[in-house]
Amino acid sequence: MTAAIRVTGLTKTYAQHRALDNVDLVVEEGSIFGFLGPNGAGKTTLLRVLTGLARSTSGVVQILGHNVTAVDDSIRARIGFLPDVPGFYDWMTAEEFLRFVGRLFAIDRRTLDERVHMLLDLAGLTDVRTTIGGFSRGMKQRLGVAQALINAPQLLLLDEPTSALDPMGRRDVLDMLTSLRGRTTVFFSTHILADVERVCDTVAILDHGRVVAQGPIDELTSRYAERKVILEVTDAAGQLGQDIAREPWAASVAVGPTGVIEITVSDMDAARRTIPALIAGRNTGLRRMEAGEMGLEEVFVSLVGGGTK
Amino acid sequence: MIGFAAFAQKEILEIVRTWRVWVLPGILLFFALTGPIMARFTLEIIHALASEQLGNFTLPDPSYVDAYTGWIKNLSQTALFALIIVYGSIVSSERRSGTAILVLTKPVSRGSFILAKATVHSAFLAVLVVIGTAVTWGLTAVVFEEAPGPALWSAALAWLAFGILFIALMTLLSVLIAPAAGAAGAGLGAYALISIASLWTPLGRWSPAGLTTIPTSLALGEPVDAFWPVCTALLLAAALFALAAAAFQRNEL
Repeated sequence: MTAAIRVTGLTKTYAQHRALDNVDLVVEEGSIFGFLGPNGAGKTTLLRVLTGLARSTSGVVQILGHNVTAVDDSIRARIGFLPDVPGFYDWMTAEEFLRFVGRLFAIDRRTLDERVHMLLDLAGLTDVRTTIGGFSRGMKQRLGVAQALINAPQLLLLDEPTSALDPMGRRDVLDMLTSLRGRTTVFFSTHILADVERVCDTVAILDHGRVVAQGPIDELTSRYAERKVILEVTDAAGQLGQDIAREPWAASVAVGPTGVIEITVSDMDAARRTIPALIAGRNTGLRRMEAGEMGLEEVFVSLVGGGTK
Repeated sequence: MIGFAAFAQKEILEIVRTWRVWVLPGILLFFALTGPIMARFTLEIIHALASEQLGNFTLPDPSYVDAYTGWIKNLSQTALFALIIVYGSIVSSERRSGTAILVLTKPVSRGSFILAKATVHSAFLAVLVVIGTAVTWGLTAVVFEEAPGPALWSAALAWLAFGILFIALMTLLSVLIAPAAGAAGAGLGAYALISIASLWTPLGRWSPAGLTTIPTSLALGEPVDAFWPVCTALLLAAALFALAAAAFQRNEL
């Protein structure tokens, strides 16, 4: 496999603010890559650098084998891009806009006719005759996805493609992304974890401008599952939870109503040694103690510091 | 340059289908239609309204020259100010609305983006000036029964070079200054400076500054050499468009 996107040591600073901090990223050709991060993590900044809209402060960024600073019309012709808030010419209709974008790619008329009709159908805008100025945010988002596909791109870059969509619209867009698997490399940023779990092969998690985890979803969840312990005790779960929360290796502790305690740990060996002593200290009975299963959401929350201790 | 033609076509459609089709064309057509008539009847209107104040003071009879100079003065003042305001957002509006991002991530270079705007809007101004001048010429012939062409057309075309220079200047200012009002203010300031500079004879003769007065002199039928002011205006316009493209290339979107 070759890399559709290869980012090495990318840093981007704005005055005193470091938006991207030594980012390394590899997106394999044909994969569907989810780029996760909380608001302000630097996802949009990275996409702006990838598309040449912004310049990196340092580092190397390659798109389809070309350094992004040297990307010319022939490379841009192979890329589709949807910004987080797409801007349209409000006086155009959806069909006129798609035809305009198609002409920017110099697509021949017959092919353009076919693609415009197919994409209007995909976007659910076939019978819409009003100009874009009268569109809802969801309609604009769907049109944005459609215009990003007009050139049948080899690499599709999407910034929060489902954020403004209703559940049906989200499902349609995700189905469409799934259908591109193997043919088009899809790189999309989002904070909707369910979307990533549903369609992505690989994810990277960005926090404060740094990639804190990257890899196939299964690998990530199993890697971080080793950091979770589930206890079930007969009584005094609340007090035991407080004892555990005071330990330096306990990243987060959640006490359930039936005596179940979920613990995210930073040092599994220390946890294994200490937990039995804490249980014995409370003189409570142990029903079970096991490694927990972690979903992507829990991995995300534990990595970006959203856990509560 | 793949997307140049498509983007230029979009610019033309945008003129036709938005407020742009009303503002400059409306202003120029209004002056073209009313100028010769106002020139013909101004004397009667003054006599009707203020004959007592005039006393023994006599005004010369109106002629086609009044219609011509009226048209050129309207171009040099009201139309130019409108142009400066309208084009203060020629690039910044696309950045603000996000349309520049969608276009410039397609096979359209930033140079093509600026060049398409320069080409279409310069041509648009040329069409407006030609139509407005033709209307003024025709109406003047009807109203005054005398309308020699060379004086009017040479004056209008000399002003057109000045107008294109200001489209180029506003394109550059719109790249450099995001708020449209800021760019327009800078454009009006530039006009004031050029007007003052034209008072210095060498600048008036050899630079675009001369075009603040030369069109009126041409309309009056005075023997004025407009060659260097027109040439330098067009060269400077080309340089400003190139500078705008270079500055836009450096902008982060």
